[in-house]
Amino acid sequence: MAKKQETTSRDVPTYCYQCVAGPDLLTVRVENGVATEVQPNFDSADVHPAAGRVCVKAFGLVQKAYNPNRITTPMKRTNPKKGKGEEPGFEAISWDEALDIISGKLLQAKEKGLNDSSGYPRVAASFGGGGTPTAYMGTFPAFLSAWGVVDFGFGSGQGVKCYHSEHLYGELWHRAFTVAPDTPLCDYILSFGSNVEASGGVCGVKRHADARERGIKRVQIEPHLSVTGACSAEWIPIKPKTDAAFLFALIHVLLHEQPWDKLDLDFIINRTSSPYLLGRFGYFMRDPETRKPLIWDGKTNAAVPFDTPGAEPVLEAPFLVEHGIEVGPDGREWEHRNERCQTSWEKLVDHVRPYSPLWASKICDVEVKVIRRVALEFLEHARVGETIEIEGQTLPLRPVSIALGKTVNNGWGGFDCCWARTLMTCLVGALEVPGGTLGTTVRLNRPATSRQASVQPGEDGFMYYPMNPTGKDDWLSKPDVRNANRTLIPLVANSPWSQALGPTHIAWMMQKVNPENWPKPTMPDVWFVYRTNPVISFWDTESIADTISKFPFTVCFAYTPDETNHMADILLPDCTDLEGLQLIRIGGTKYFEQYWDYQGFALRQPAVEAVGEAKDFSWIATQLAKRTGLLEGYNNAINKGAAGVRLYGENFDFSLDPESEHSVEDIWDATCRAASAEISGGEDNAGLDYYREHGFKVEPFERINWYLYPEMVKQDLRFEMPFQERLHRVGQQLANRLHQMGISWWDAQLEEYDPLPEWKDYPELWERALEENFNVDIADYPFWLVTARSMQYAWGGNADIQMIKEVADNVAGHGGVIINAGKAREMGIGEGDLVEIASPLSSTKGRVVLREGVRPDTLVMIGQFDHWETPLAKTYKVPSMNKLTPMLIDLTDSTGSGSDLVKASIRLLEKAS
Amino acid sequence: MTRWAMVADLRRCVGCQTCTSSCKHTNATPPSVQWRRVLDFEMGSYPNVKRTFVPVGCMHCADPPCMHVCPSTATGQREDGIVTIDYDICIGCAYCAVACPYQARYKVDKPVFAYGKKKGMKNEAYREDPARIGVAQKCTFCSDRVDFGLENGLTPGVDHEATPACVNSCIAGALHFGDLEDDTSNVSSLLAENQTFRMHEDVGTNSGFHYIWAKKSETDAPDDKLELLTELSRGVGDVGGAEPWVQQHWDWRAAGNFIGGGTGTGMLLATSLVAVLGAPIVPMALLGLLFIAAGLFLVWLETGRPLRAPLNVFFNRKTSWMTRESLVAGALLPIGLLAVWLNMTWLLIVATFVGMGFLYCQGQILKAAKGIPAWRQPQIVFLIIATGLAEGCGLFTLSSLIIVPHVTMSLADVLSFIMLLFILIRTWAWTRYRHALSQGAPKGTLKSLRQFSPWMAILAHTVPALLILLSYLSPEYAEPTLGLAAFLIMLGGWMMKFTIITRASYNQGFSIDRAPDIGGGAGAGAKPGWVLK
Repeated sequence: MAKKQETTSRDVPTYCYQCVAGPDLLTVRVENGVATEVQPNFDSADVHPAAGRVCVKAFGLVQKAYNPNRITTPMKRTNPKKGKGEEPGFEAISWDEALDIISGKLLQAKEKGLNDSSGYPRVAASFGGGGTPTAYMGTFPAFLSAWGVVDFGFGSGQGVKCYHSEHLYGELWHRAFTVAPDTPLCDYILSFGSNVEASGGVCGVKRHADARERGIKRVQIEPHLSVTGACSAEWIPIKPKTDAAFLFALIHVLLHEQPWDKLDLDFIINRTSSPYLLGRFGYFMRDPETRKPLIWDGKTNAAVPFDTPGAEPVLEAPFLVEHGIEVGPDGREWEHRNERCQTSWEKLVDHVRPYSPLWASKICDVEVKVIRRVALEFLEHARVGETIEIEGQTLPLRPVSIALGKTVNNGWGGFDCCWARTLMTCLVGALEVPGGTLGTTVRLNRPATSRQASVQPGEDGFMYYPMNPTGKDDWLSKPDVRNANRTLIPLVANSPWSQALGPTHIAWMMQKVNPENWPKPTMPDVWFVYRTNPVISFWDTESIADTISKFPFTVCFAYTPDETNHMADILLPDCTDLEGLQLIRIGGTKYFEQYWDYQGFALRQPAVEAVGEAKDFSWIATQLAKRTGLLEGYNNAINKGAAGVRLYGENFDFSLDPESEHSVEDIWDATCRAASAEISGGEDNAGLDYYREHGFKVEPFERINWYLYPEMVKQDLRFEMPFQERLHRVGQQLANRLHQMGISWWDAQLEEYDPLPEWKDYPELWERALEENFNVDIADYPFWLVTARSMQYAWGGNADIQMIKEVADNVAGHGGVIINAGKAREMGIGEGDLVEIASPLSSTKGRVVLREGVRPDTLVMIGQFDHWETPLAKTYKVPSMNKLTPMLIDLTDSTGSGSDLVKASIRLLEKAS
Repeated sequence: MTRWAMVADLRRCVGCQTCTSSCKHTNATPPSVQWRRVLDFEMGSYPNVKRTFVPVGCMHCADPPCMHVCPSTATGQREDGIVTIDYDICIGCAYCAVACPYQARYKVDKPVFAYGKKKGMKNEAYREDPARIGVAQKCTFCSDRVDFGLENGLTPGVDHEATPACVNSCIAGALHFGDLEDDTSNVSSLLAENQTFRMHEDVGTNSGFHYIWAKKSETDAPDDKLELLTELSRGVGDVGGAEPWVQQHWDWRAAGNFIGGGTGTGMLLATSLVAVLGAPIVPMALLGLLFIAAGLFLVWLETGRPLRAPLNVFFNRKTSWMTRESLVAGALLPIGLLAVWLNMTWLLIVATFVGMGFLYCQGQILKAAKGIPAWRQPQIVFLIIATGLAEGCGLFTLSSLIIVPHVTMSLADVLSFIMLLFILIRTWAWTRYRHALSQGAPKGTLKSLRQFSPWMAILAHTVPALLILLSYLSPEYAEPTLGLAAFLIMLGGWMMKFTIITRASYNQGFSIDRAPDIGGGAGAGAKPGWVLK
């Protein structure tokens, strides 16, 4: 009891942004200087969409701070040989020595020129996915900005483990870097493998729980019964990678089996390009004078430009177009007179005619009646014609949505699924309206802070999109980074996020193979790594490890030893989550289901003293800037907002003196003041002390901003659906450019630039690619191996947190490979048996977890494991599919992404005792 | 009056384990101790499968078996319904743990740390509580928060400072806490508006944990017969899982107590019977008492707080059969020893009667362990008595044959008759017991007993009976045949009790009466790992 009386206790407000579904606002109870307990920040209950609750991962932070396996001093490698089997011989050094070594290497690189002989940046940096490391690396982005040219293209999972197709097409079609249902108003969700209960964070979980209680029906379509499947009304076990066929069949039912007046014709006619006329070469028929796409005006019975005032567009064009032109790639034009034209709509209707439920049934291994019923339920629930008032504006109410999971919208088939999903919602007018399918945020368009502001009129009545140029004169023929994102992927744009969204596995692959007519692969002179462990989290992890072991100089900001920093030259211990200081933006709308009624800023602050010699990341960044002579550029970058907030505005200026070295506290105090000023129009200048006490500060965010539709109406713009004329043209141009360079290894990807996606047998495509690349008989690999999200582990880098492991084990499937119980019985395999799981690439071992909720032809490995160096985690002996999934150009789609999907076999090694 | 209760909405829970983690933080529980946790149920067979997440923990029953059995009164119940444990009184006998049908109680015998080091991390070292070592622990409904709230005019379940940590942390808003006696409380409203069940209603604990599975509506049909999936359901969990598992609280040492107590008492009875016929009572009575004492010594070894146990075990005469057993033992051993010392037959008869009471208490101890279906059968009381006496008779016969060189044939006849009688009685008791279990029991219990049963039938009953008959037919071999029969009768009983205590002692596991209605209608409930008739 004596201890209790002496206790000094305080609840320190801070945030957890370990995963992209954050940040969650929390408090840490600190008793006598010891962090004891994480709790929700109850003060945020009224402003946070999930009543201020905090995800399970945040509860691992106390153990994370005190983990005895932490690296607590800077270290230097003493064994020059690198590799999985090499003991690095790390030896403790001082911060001075560590920083001198790093800045020495940086200055050497700079002397040689920022870019190397292949034109690639000499400095590379890899951070964990979703931008979350940015919420922990303080002012390091300002240092990188001051440095100038950095290759962010060595991915740690991006393009493979993200919603890649959705990121790119979502931004194109409706400013949706990710997509979410308007869950609070939605009544019916088709969820194709989207695991929102595991990946949607506290906001996703809360919103969907509310919806379930309200009576929402969610149909989960996926090969195994995930956590989200568990919380759904119905589970439809679909064959992996056949989702596009299912979606196409849904469109078929709506267009061929239902009267069109049940659809939202007003939306189709006025908010999509459905009435646009098409020429015989597959491009819009355009007005010869204005070059605007033509529509058929029902009132005047003539073809007129789409934006002709008073025109009444029709979906079926009854007459010939007197005069029009088509504009193809590279300025090629075709002139037509008295041409019989179809509308885009008619083309679409023809296009989906073969895609009946009967057709899809055989592909998807789902009953015909189920597919048809789902389509009709979707239509019925759409409530076409109804409206709702949002903040004084009357908007359509369309409470239906479609969500896509990662493997569904990544890699081949991703385009088809994203297109079909977006189109389905267009057909009932459910895109970007209350109850429907919404975008969350923008990362490729600008400004990043407002979806609405990013809507600018572009060509042809659509939104502007910052496509990477593919013209003869403006195409970036020589990649500026190793993953060649701007060269190969027009859609990935050129925002600060674009590099990481390029085909990040190409950066890795090309370290091993130099494709034809491509710059020679080079290694970065200096590689920074933070909050990522690509040797575990990427594909073909053995090959990644091998590549990393050859990099000449690697600096890892290291929490504990791990598989990637095993190859590092320098380890730097930065302050962990509960030890560092940083201010970030919160609120507005953001993935995955963060739809707030507020926006503002939250502070992460030291709740406990840093362990050992761990240093605040901003201190490290400042020291590096100083030692490399970049202090001025670094401070200027901070002033311009590289640390998250611009320090000056119309009526405020908290800029730092560019020439001085500033303390961590001074930097963040200025940032806090600028943040306060920003959200108060300059009236408030609450600084660090305020945020230290309260943790956050917000201003109202209007709910109307959740929806893009009002902005589209205001600017009289159309969603670029269904016909992808622009993409088709861009694809043709890209083909011309690549072929002129003699590059043919990207041809399969170029074929994906279809104006309307055609079904390709994706399962067969996978099988063929594996057979051809590995010279195997695919019949020897009878299972599809897929993965599933673990809420407890995902993104957190917390596989070595004992408590996380303990509680995650309460959720089925952690700890082994999931196999259908009946199938396992047939094979003589039982619960807990040790098996070898092999793909054409490699093999791994693991214990069997029997479940009924998985297709008999599918295996599931949750999360990402197979650790061999990370303390504690290396004792789990849990298999991961990452080791088994190959990186292949053949399995890379046109956006540069691949899927977590491979064929596998399973062999009994040892019966469970 | 107040009755604090928890309501879990199964439609909302996503199994994220945030409550589990939050509880671990707030209550500083060591690795693998989860006062609150969420189970992952799977029901049905491919492709008609449902999966449901079910929060569990101490149910704070109105009629808590754990409290009734607790010998030390460490487990108590507040007026507001919260079931408490006083760590300073608890002897760590774990009787409460086997009495709890919700597997909610833990006992940690030595400090355990997350990273397995000798010394815990800073937070572990700071929060280490030696009072919790070797005693029972479980969810407290965060009673300290509740009390703090009430003292400060706050409403538990509404104001976070007064609300259990798991409820505060639940990201799905699935967990609710409040006063059931207050019609206007959050939990009362939830129960009024929704269809709910409580887990293991049939065990009769009047649990304070309610599960919402559907909204109430005017069109609700009267509750039709519940379908419970057993074979086609399963669940996982770091600590046990959803299916019953063999309890780990009472091991061979506890079995030793039942063996020693039963055999010893039976020995006393046999000694008394033959003493009436004029046989000497020493050393047989002494041997019987030794068995009883040895059994008690073994179970004492199993207590987490052995220094407290000899005193605190006597605290709950009112309801604990363990206290009663101890009290009776406290009388039995001196009386028995006195009878031996004074060589007084009538005193030995008194001791035998007390011993019968002791044996009865042992039977009742098992019966009161509501968490273990193989123990809680009413028929177990008679079985324990019957086998104890049979074993004692066997031991007496065996000892007589060894210790007394020439057992008179008349004594042998008496003993063989008594043994035959006990074979019949025990066979009947065993059959009755197994029949009762066949009405519904954990699969593992039934399997374990099924595997053991042939041994019981042949080695412990049929062979001894045949040997006894053989002894009548071939008197020249009477001594070895009777001796072997006696040994088998005794050994059979020991094996039976060892099996029941350590092998067939699957706990209750977990069940749900209904899979929740989440947009597609409610589904059948599940009782994984059970065989129901």
